[in-house]
Order: sequence, then structure tokens, then C-alpha cells
Amino acid sequence: MIRSHFLNMVIFAALVAIFFAFLTQKETRDRVRVILILGGSMVVLALVMAYVMYPFPLR
Amino acid sequence: MTETVVEPDAPAARHAVSPWLPCILAWLLPGLGHLRLGKRRRAAVFFAVVMATFAMGIASHGAAAAIDPLQPLTYLATFDNLALGPVELISRRLTYGRIVYRLPEDENEPARVALTDRLRARVRSVTFEYGSTFLLTAGLMNILLILDAFDIAVGRKD
Repeated sequence: MIRSHFLNMVIFAALVAIFFAFLTQKETRDRVRVILILGGSMVVLALVMAYVMYPFPLR
Repeated sequence: MTETVVEPDAPAARHAVSPWLPCILAWLLPGLGHLRLGKRRRAAVFFAVVMATFAMGIASHGAAAAIDPLQPLTYLATFDNLALGPVELISRRLTYGRIVYRLPEDENEPARVALTDRLRARVRSVTFEYGSTFLLTAGLMNILLILDAFDIAVGRKD
């Protein structure tokens, strides 16, 4: 069992990105690009959202 | 003067495979539908990715959903779990100790109390939410694979 939230998130993003890369693209180059963009976006946006939500709830 | 336009064969004409068989195979085992359609590499990747997602769900103490008439969203979650095919029985058995798809409606019924107690034991795990999300995602992935296999079989996609 992986207890690290970040590692769980990265694994989830990687699996989803690989899945959609093979589902939507035919060329290896395009697949790699989708994996990097989609997987990277999921991780980066999740971290950005985490920091944006950090002050909440306001007390 | 009229011009005769020769249209290329409709995409569906290129495939002699019944579209339903790959869909059923895709439901039985992720990637099997694509294997039937001759997409070996994609089939292997889809199998590996969906099963890895499912395995992460099991390892993270995720719970299979069961229909609870008091919570309408459980209908969708249970349908999603079922979309993974027979493999889904593993997570169901681990969650409830037996194969169950619907919780008894009466909140005081001993069978319902026993099932919810087993569910609560998993909810206490710190990774329960991750695990359940992985399990639901594996089901969603397989729904897309079934639809993709159908599209390939009817010639809408290569």
C-alpha cells in the first residue's frame, strides 16, 4: 500500500495519461507527447489547486 | 452531362467482424476486444494499464460499490464497477466478504449491518479514497475500451 498522497497522484496521472495516449493517438511520437502533456498537466494543476486552496477554510 | 462519382467503400465494409463480439470480449477482459480486432500492441497496453489501475485500487483498500437505495449515486458507481467485467468480483469479494450487489433497504437488518461494518473497516484506511477512485477509474477505462472496440469493428476508427 502506498501511503504517499503525491505518489498516488503521480501513479494515477501516469496510468490515465498512458491510457488516453494509446486510445487517441497512433504514432509513438504523438503518444509520448500526450503522456507528457496530459500527465504533467494533471500533476501540476493538482499542485496549483492544492496551494490555492491552502488558506481555506478562512478563520 | 452528368458526372459519375465513385465513392470509396464505406468504412464498415472494410471489416467483416461483428461489432458485438469485440465489445463482449472487451468487457470480459480489458484489451481482449482489441486483441480480437488484431490490435495486439494496443491490447497489451490496455490490459496492463487497466489491470494496474485495478490492482492499485485493491492494494489501496478501495471498496467496490453496492447499490444502496438510500443513496442514488451508488447505482452509477455499481454500474461503473461492473463495467470492468468478471475481474471486478475480486474487489467485491474483498470488500464485502461475498458477492453482493445490493444492500438491504432496511437499515436495521442484520445483513445490511454486517455489510456496512465490513465497508467501514475499509473506509478507515488512509488510502481508501484513492483505492476507490482507482477502482472506479478502471471501470471507466473499460467502458471507453468497449466503445473503442465497437468503433474499430464498425470501421469508424483504425
